[in-house]
Amino acid sequence: MKNRKFLTAVIAVMLSCALAACGGQTGTQQTTIAAAAEAAAETAASAQITAEEVTKAAAEETVAENAEAKTEASEEASEAGGASAESSAAGEVSGPVTITDMLGREITLEQPATRVVALTPSDCEILFAIGAGDTLVGRGEYCDYPAAVLDIPAVQSGAETNIEEILALEPQLLIMSAMSQTEEQAAQLEAAGVQVVISDAQDIAGVYTAIEMIGKLMGRDESAAEVIDNMKAIFAEIEEKSTGDGSKTIYFEVSPLEYGLYTAGAHTFMDEVANMLGVKNCFADVEGWGAISEEQVLKRNPDYIMTITMYYGEGPTPEEEILGRAGWENVTAVKNKAILNLVDNELSRPAPRLADGARKLYDFVYGEDAE
Amino acid sequence: MRSRSGRFSFIEFVIFVAVTFAVFCLCVCIGSVSIPLTDTLSVIWDGVRYHLGRLGMAVIQVVSGSGAEAVGGAGTVPGGVSATVESTGAVISGGNGVLASWLAAKPEGLQASIILSVRLPRVLCVAMTGAALALAGGAMQGLLKNPLADGSTLGVSSGAALGAVIAIAFGVRFPGLPFAGTMVMAILFAFLSLVLILTLAYRLDYSLATNTIILIGVIFSMFVSSLMNIIVTFAADRIQHITFWTMGSLQGASYQNALVLLGVLMLCGGMILRRAQELNAFAIGEDNARHIGVDVRRVKLVILIMVSGLIGVCVSIGGSIGFVGLVTPHIVRMLVGPNHRRLLPASLFGGAVFLMLADLAARTLLNPIELPIGVVTSLVGAVVFVVIFYRSRRRS
Amino acid sequence: MLQVNDLTVRYGDLTIVDHLSFTVEEGQWLMIVGPNGAGKSTTLDAITQGTAYAGQVLFEGEDMKKKKAAERARCVGVLMQNHFAEYAFSVEEVVALGRYSCAGVRSRARWYAGSEIGFEGEFAGTAGGTDVRIGKKPDIGTKKKFGAFTEKRPGVRTKENVGLAQKSRRESGLHAEKHTGRSNEDEQAVENALALTGMSSQRKQSILTLSGGELQRTFLAQVFAQDPKLLLLDEPTNHLDLVYQKQVFELIEKWLQTPGRAVISVVHDLSLAKAYGTKVLLMNRGRKVACGPAVEVLVPEHLDPVYQMNVSGWMRQMLGQWGG
Repeated sequence: MKNRKFLTAVIAVMLSCALAACGGQTGTQQTTIAAAAEAAAETAASAQITAEEVTKAAAEETVAENAEAKTEASEEASEAGGASAESSAAGEVSGPVTITDMLGREITLEQPATRVVALTPSDCEILFAIGAGDTLVGRGEYCDYPAAVLDIPAVQSGAETNIEEILALEPQLLIMSAMSQTEEQAAQLEAAGVQVVISDAQDIAGVYTAIEMIGKLMGRDESAAEVIDNMKAIFAEIEEKSTGDGSKTIYFEVSPLEYGLYTAGAHTFMDEVANMLGVKNCFADVEGWGAISEEQVLKRNPDYIMTITMYYGEGPTPEEEILGRAGWENVTAVKNKAILNLVDNELSRPAPRLADGARKLYDFVYGEDAE
Repeated sequence: MRSRSGRFSFIEFVIFVAVTFAVFCLCVCIGSVSIPLTDTLSVIWDGVRYHLGRLGMAVIQVVSGSGAEAVGGAGTVPGGVSATVESTGAVISGGNGVLASWLAAKPEGLQASIILSVRLPRVLCVAMTGAALALAGGAMQGLLKNPLADGSTLGVSSGAALGAVIAIAFGVRFPGLPFAGTMVMAILFAFLSLVLILTLAYRLDYSLATNTIILIGVIFSMFVSSLMNIIVTFAADRIQHITFWTMGSLQGASYQNALVLLGVLMLCGGMILRRAQELNAFAIGEDNARHIGVDVRRVKLVILIMVSGLIGVCVSIGGSIGFVGLVTPHIVRMLVGPNHRRLLPASLFGGAVFLMLADLAARTLLNPIELPIGVVTSLVGAVVFVVIFYRSRRRS
Repeated sequence: MLQVNDLTVRYGDLTIVDHLSFTVEEGQWLMIVGPNGAGKSTTLDAITQGTAYAGQVLFEGEDMKKKKAAERARCVGVLMQNHFAEYAFSVEEVVALGRYSCAGVRSRARWYAGSEIGFEGEFAGTAGGTDVRIGKKPDIGTKKKFGAFTEKRPGVRTKENVGLAQKSRRESGLHAEKHTGRSNEDEQAVENALALTGMSSQRKQSILTLSGGELQRTFLAQVFAQDPKLLLLDEPTNHLDLVYQKQVFELIEKWLQTPGRAVISVVHDLSLAKAYGTKVLLMNRGRKVACGPAVEVLVPEHLDPVYQMNVSGWMRQMLGQWGG
């Protein structure tokens, strides 16, 4: 009697597992796990073959040093690439692309990518900045800039990254960061035939590298270079115009008092921009992002406060909330009402908009007429 | 040492108050920014004098104001009224003058801001949160006759946090009371989770065996945390700070928060303290409690509501801070014995001391970086939890 | 004293107690016997309102359902078969809890018949027999009158509530209450109960360190301190060795000698039922099989079908081993 009950329970559990597997988030395709795995294995195999052919061709080319051989090789490669031949019109450059991603892995695409999924908001921004936004077939759920990105299907990212969901979008290329994604996820995706590229900028120089890398992958080297030059120009201009000598201090508030203060310390984009402006980050002794003591903010008495807290239209605005904090009335920034609320993540994402953020911070510190 | 009545002797009471007060002073004097002891004391003294003075002036104004009104209402001659107004005005200014000469001006400056606006309200809130959580834990351990029962192990804190998160995500608000929405939802959800967990536990195992109820609590906590994640996915823009609800923080606690905590401690805490004898009966056995004439159903309901009130308010103010309610009654029980007439008031003080010290560590250990207070309590609590569990297993 | 009419207890589809009726009068010791699952313990649970039931349980003509918890405890006390101690309460604290329902009902304090008999002799190292004596037994009529009054208004402390003979003691009790939180009468009741059960010397000991027999005696002391009119025992000696069995049963027999008291106990041991019971209720599958004096109920015609064996034959065979 007991055994039978147990057996039924086991069968019920197995059945529900099977149901869950089939009804998984592959979306409209309605493939079973088994079918999906088969398909994945096939694509993986074919991807391996094409990669081998490409490298073979490249080897022949160097030995022969023959211009004809080169074009033949590239033709072969594009044939191996199959359907991507006609899409080369969209990109500026066609033909094989080799880059080193930001984990130092060498990656070769036989053609600039035409179906891309980007999990990190900053990579979406870069793609749009270099004019390759139309190649995006999927985005991480937190990607929200520019507005056009919201029309692209969202996939779960981070620890809950849904591999099935991504595979269902049939991308050739997936761009993700090393910080919020895992090696296992990358391995799984690559086994399923999706080329994974790691974009992991830690500073502004890293952002240039990322833009250049993504530009190459999309066959848009020139647009990428333009974006980078534009950023550099803005930064140079701001740096030149800034008259600060580091005597004024700024406090970056990442999380408001209600939920425990959090700031951006040394080696963050905010810190880098502050240095550019000749303003000292008053928590430069904190490495990276960290929870900090309220007392320390009062003691360090910043001249400026920048907060990235969102305002949802109820209660006091983030500026008002800071101005109304008990005990903060003696802080210079509060006395002078020198508080900036940047809500669009301009200074927290390794993306081209860092330049916009830097300009806004410059305007805030030196006044708009100084420009 | 244990008196026959089971109550605190005067001396014991004085010792507990003294220790608590000493720790309180220590926590106010030590902080991220070091301020000399003498300055700390003088700032507090000036603050007290300033507020006493304002209170005094307010009283004078109210008294003289109402006096003037009474005279004005009675008087029919306009000249007389104006005369009385003038004379009361003179009295007010005279009174103000006398007060002003004795009382300090409002303390200003960095030290005053740090001590009076940041540290003092925070330490007050921490102390009362600790007291409330420990009292709630002690009451639950007695009521369920389960030494591992506590808001965090039973999942009541998670339930309260879920309520608070729902209140924020869906904008549950009461006009005029900015934080009442989260608070009411937290209390409500704390109670609902308690009822749910206990119903389930009773169904599975009437004797409420230690393991069953803890297991259910753990499962419930997981369930709630997944619900919380779902809500956060839907309202990501509103709730960026999920760690606050899981780890807790009393940074930015205000005097208003302290007042709310004091109120709930007086009301719910008082109700629990009055049921000490009933809790003793429950701690010996629920059936036994019924047999000796305890109105089991009613007492249980009252205690559960009061515990929910305490935990709900604490969670809505400081997030869910684990292990305080679990560990404190155990340590206190070793000191004063299991009699709730002694255990509950001692837990009150013990919880305050424990959380104040934990908060002190969180504030100062990695200066200027601040640790979440829940990390410190969990670190200490988890170790003690294991020790308790090990000892109780070995005994049985 | 106790009247059970048409008692039925159901758990879902299962009928545990099926239309059971019986009565217990003052001075009676009713033994409920029957095989496992007969509904014996559930019947006790229903009497203490520990389970939902259909039918009526009347105590001195009043419905137990309508009584408040404290009033019920003044009428009916229970000694369970098992006690699982979790916290290190002292013996005295546990016994003192027996006085919970007496808060404010001072005049009903009664005296222990056991003290006069000096039962402590059987327990080594306990308090002497004399200090358990408090005074003469009050006349039953007076006691009942005041008892009825206070039952209706528990917690009211008026002079009318207090017997004249007890007046001076009561005042000193009030005085003592200020210092100790317990009245003199409560203290006295606890003292007596401890002495009666021989737990006086262990009063400060933690209940976690007691043996099974000591623990059972502690809870017996608690129910003695509670001083109910009707005592319910659910297999009170189930886990005790012979010495303790004898002690517990003799203690209860002494307790019963005071007028106005009655005992109901569930037992498995038929010879115990026969030896101590003045009335026996034989149950099977929730139904009453027979009820009456032991000599009428514990006979093969009733027992053998219920237990599906030759009970008396087996008992005789067992006793025969002792050469009796």
